[in-house]
Amino acid sequence: MAEYELDCFGEACPIPLVKAEKKLDEMVVGDILIVLIDHSCAMKNVPEWARKQGHNVEIDEVDDGEWEVVIEKMK
Amino acid sequence: MPREKKVEEYDVVIIGGGAAGMTAGIYCGRARLKTLIIEMALVGGLATYTNEIENYPGFPEGSTGLGLMELFQQQTKKFDVKFKGTDVKSVELEGEVKIVETFRTTYKAKVVIIASGGRPRITNAENEEEFLFDKGISFCATCDAAANTDKDVLIIGSGDAAIEEGMFLTKFANKVYISIMHEDGKMDCNEIAKSEACENSKMEFIWNTVVKRFEGDNHLRTVVLENLRTGEEIPIDIDTCFEFIGYIPNTEIFKDQICLSERGYVLVNDKMETNIEGVFSAGDVNEKFLKQIATAVGDGAVAGYAAERYIAETAQYSSQILTRDHFVYVYDASCVNCQNRLREIEALEVETNGKISFSKVDVYKSKGLSNRMGVSVFPSIAVVRSGEIVDVLTDDFSRVRLESYL
Repeated sequence: MAEYELDCFGEACPIPLVKAEKKLDEMVVGDILIVLIDHSCAMKNVPEWARKQGHNVEIDEVDDGEWEVVIEKMK
Repeated sequence: MPREKKVEEYDVVIIGGGAAGMTAGIYCGRARLKTLIIEMALVGGLATYTNEIENYPGFPEGSTGLGLMELFQQQTKKFDVKFKGTDVKSVELEGEVKIVETFRTTYKAKVVIIASGGRPRITNAENEEEFLFDKGISFCATCDAAANTDKDVLIIGSGDAAIEEGMFLTKFANKVYISIMHEDGKMDCNEIAKSEACENSKMEFIWNTVVKRFEGDNHLRTVVLENLRTGEEIPIDIDTCFEFIGYIPNTEIFKDQICLSERGYVLVNDKMETNIEGVFSAGDVNEKFLKQIATAVGDGAVAGYAAERYIAETAQYSSQILTRDHFVYVYDASCVNCQNRLREIEALEVETNGKISFSKVDVYKSKGLSNRMGVSVFPSIAVVRSGEIVDVLTDDFSRVRLESYL
């Protein structure tokens, strides 16, 4: 099970979401994707989308206004 | 092979980052406890879905739910409380160390505070998701009545909440439609509410109907009802649709460990203690009379304080009570008899040149420590030998008796 990182610092919606969708497509079940974001709108829509898809999601505020969205691909 | 999980230790893990959870967090953080709040969706909980909050004191101009909850979070972070944005998969609450599992981490905590709230039951009709909360479908008349002054609203449901909130709405709205799935004249609410509602000229009942779909652009405009007998579609133009078809507490993961009410809410006492020592519960998830930010804050404060007391007493119990062979005089400082007998044992200490000596535990403020010692009568003398309480004396405090333990 691999772990991937997606640097989306400085990128506004919907770019992080689009990138995350694309990356997750290439991954296999059980892999982990860590999306780094600093736009609060992406902090909302990336996890919302991932949860709706049935993946495991965890959000970590690593610094003030910087988040890691950790997604485990579930299907 | 399952991925190896991280293990992290905290004094307090709070499940749920709404008003109750964050208030508990403020109290725990301020008491210098290492505290974590786990929130599965948006920090702020259900309050963030309310556009206008006018009944939370301290904000005379009113506030948005989201705005108010951001302030709550700022204040909570000030006390070094950590936030984690994920959902809890399972818990093991029995025992001194509580386990809270998320998909990546196993958290070990001395105290768990349940503040997981609840969610309103929804109709699952077409397009409902698009209009939830601030887009025209509301679950709280107290919150949104004033915004509907002189407007038309629709209520779904016929239970006590639906009819009583509907009556409240008639004081503001121009017209209150009520969609009821039962036959003409049949409601689920109590008889008093029913007869009052039937006499209220602003209320109009639409029998045998359920919601088929919701329509509108950015905001809800029309609710299309369906007559269950004829299949006929009935469009109702309104400003807000209130759904009162029940509320679901988020207690699924606790149900085999925590005592819940028949409806699935957590049962607590006035200290927010659950049936398990070291597990507290606060806010909407509790079986309670009124679910508001103001009451959630009150619960959270009690739970946070109680958690701090519990941790302090646990530490005191193992570091001061059980560590050596001695006698512990357990008394209530407000009781005269306890004071008299305190003088008696103090005299005994002098008389025996300290051969018999006592630690003192005053239960006036909290009985937590005495509960843990298994002492319920005051005054009592607990006899500690080899790290255990071997006897509790409630009457005979004589030198002869005490010397028999030496």
